[in-house]
Amino acid sequence: MQDEQVQQATLRLECEEFLYHTAELLDDRRLSEWHDLVTDDIEYRIPIRTTRERSKPTEFSKSAFHMKEDWGTLKVRTNRMASDFAWSEDPPSRTRRQVANVRITDVSDDEIDLKNNLVVVRSRKAETDPDILSMERHDTLRRDEDGYAPDWTERKGLKLARRTVLLDHTVIPTDSLSIIL
Amino acid sequence: MKILNDEDIYQRELNRIFAQTWVYVGHESEVPEPGDYRQRTIGEDPFVFVRDENGTLRVLFNSCRHRGANVCRAEKGNTTHFRCPYHGWTYQNTGDLVGVPQKGDGFDHLDADEYGLREAANVDTYNGLVFACIAPDAPQLEEYLGGATWYLDMYFDLIDMEVIGDPQRWVVDADWKTPTENFYGDNYHVPMGHKSAIDVGIGSETATGEEESELYGIADCDGHAFSIYQIDSEKPMFWGHPEDVVETFNHDALDDDQHEVARRSGVTLGTIFPNLSFIFLGGRDDPNKDPVGTFCLRQWQPRGPGKMEAWNWILAPKDAPAEYKERVYEVGMSTFSAAGNFEADDIGIWDGIDDAAGSVFVEQTEATTLFTMGRGENAAATIDDDWAGPGTAYADGGLTDENQLDFYRTWYETITTEGAE
Repeated sequence: MQDEQVQQATLRLECEEFLYHTAELLDDRRLSEWHDLVTDDIEYRIPIRTTRERSKPTEFSKSAFHMKEDWGTLKVRTNRMASDFAWSEDPPSRTRRQVANVRITDVSDDEIDLKNNLVVVRSRKAETDPDILSMERHDTLRRDEDGYAPDWTERKGLKLARRTVLLDHTVIPTDSLSIIL
Repeated sequence: MKILNDEDIYQRELNRIFAQTWVYVGHESEVPEPGDYRQRTIGEDPFVFVRDENGTLRVLFNSCRHRGANVCRAEKGNTTHFRCPYHGWTYQNTGDLVGVPQKGDGFDHLDADEYGLREAANVDTYNGLVFACIAPDAPQLEEYLGGATWYLDMYFDLIDMEVIGDPQRWVVDADWKTPTENFYGDNYHVPMGHKSAIDVGIGSETATGEEESELYGIADCDGHAFSIYQIDSEKPMFWGHPEDVVETFNHDALDDDQHEVARRSGVTLGTIFPNLSFIFLGGRDDPNKDPVGTFCLRQWQPRGPGKMEAWNWILAPKDAPAEYKERVYEVGMSTFSAAGNFEADDIGIWDGIDDAAGSVFVEQTEATTLFTMGRGENAAATIDDDWAGPGTAYADGGLTDENQLDFYRTWYETITTEGAE
C-alpha cells in the first residue's frame, strides 16, 4: 500500500478504537470516565426527526431536540444517572452498543470528522424483547493530551468534540432516554 | 387497579372518553400559515390538524372517502391539497373533494360536495389551544373547560405562548391514566421520585423549599385540576421568568386576583381532562446556569391497555428574546422529555404498574390502589376558603389525594355515560 493509504487506514483504526472504547465505557456504565473523554466545548445533539415528503431537504429539526448538551449538562446527566436514586437506571437497563460503518469525512491538523452507525440493544428486567435504537452519528474527534490513545500509537489521544445523533426513529421506541447515545 | 390494564375498559375509554370529550389536537402556533398541517391523533384515530386557505383551523379525518387510504402521509408540511396516492382523489385543505380522476367515465353520478374529507364534528380554540370533539353533541369548549379557564388565562392569555419546534414523542409501558393522575397533582412523589435530579442541583427552588412557599392543590374544577406553588414574596415571581420577559406579558388580560396568583407563582402543573397536562417551572439544566421559566405541554396518548405514547411540546413567551427562548427550550427538554432528568425517573417507576394491574391476582382479589391521603383527622392539607380562583384549594396540597380523586371521578362519570357507540 502507498504511505498515504496506510496513514488513512491507521487513522481510521485509531478512530474506531476510540469509538469502541467509549461504547464500552457506556455499556459498562463507567459514565464519569466517558465524560472525561469529551472536550470542554462539546456540542452534543439529538435532533427530533419527523416523517416528511422526500422532496424536503431534511427530516431533522433545527430547533427541537431530544438532547442538546454541553459539557456542564452532560456532567449533570452522568452524575444523576450514577445516583442511587435514579430510578430509570436503578436497576440499570442493560445496553449493548454495536458501532459500525466508520467513515472519515474530513481531517484537519487536530480534528477528524467522521460518520458511524450505531445500534443500541437495550434490555430491562426479565423482558425478552429488547428495545432497539438505530442511528447514524456525525462525530468530530479532537487531539488532546488527556484523550484516549490506543497502546500502539505515539500520537496524542482523542476526545469527542461534537456529536450529532441522527435517529432512525420519529417516535423513540424505548421508555426513556436515560442512556447516552 | 384493574382499570390500568384491561382490554374491555380500554375500548370503552376510546369510545366514551376520547370520542365524546374535547381532546387537545395542537397549538395555533404550530400551523401559523394557511396550508400548514400536522398529523395528530384523537385517541388512536388519525386526523390532520390544518389551517385551510381561509385561515380556518380544521381537524380532518385522514382517510380518503373512496377506499380509505391516508391522504396525508407526511407528519407536517404545507399544502393546498391532499391527494390520495391510491387512485388520485384530491381534496382542498378545506377538506372539499375537488378532483376525481376520470370522473366523467366512472363517477359521473357522484356529487363531489358530499364526499369531502370527514372531519371532527367540533373544533374550537381557547387562547391558542386547539381542541376537537369527534361527537356532534358537545358542550361549548369554554363550558367544558369551565373553571379551568381562570387558570389557563394565567398561562395563555397573560402570556402569548408559542410552541418551539416539534414535540418529542416516545412510547411508554404505562397506561395513559398513570401520568394523567400524576399530573392532576401528585406532589407527594417529588422528594422520593426525583431525588436524583434534586441532588445534582437542578430542582426548582420552590419545589425544593429554598423559597418560602405554599403549595395549593386545586380540585373540583369542573373535572380539571391544578397544583400551584405560591411564593411568599413581594417580587414578581411569574414561574421564574426574568423581569425583561415579564415586561412583555399582557398584564391587563387578567383580573387583580388572577394577576396576584400569577405574580406569586412558582412551579405550577395541571391537567385538562382527559389527557392534556402541563408543567410550568423555573428550572435549570445545570446548577451553574441561570434558571428560566419553561413550559412543557404534554399529552398522554392511549395506545392500548397499559400502553401509551407521550408527546411533549415546549412553549416559550413569543415576545421574549430569541436567546432566552432557546434556553427555555433547553431547560424544558432537560427536565421533562424522553431524556428529561425528572421525567426519566417517573417513567422508570411507572414501568410495572401495568403488569400488576393486568394480573389475575388483581382481578381475583379486586385489589385497589389507595387514595386516602389527607383524609385523617390531623391531616396537614386544609381547604383555604380565601382562595380567589374556582375549585377547592387545599393548602399543603402535596399531602392530599383530592386532585387525583377528581380525575378518577371525572373518568368514571364519563366512561359510564352512554355515548354514540
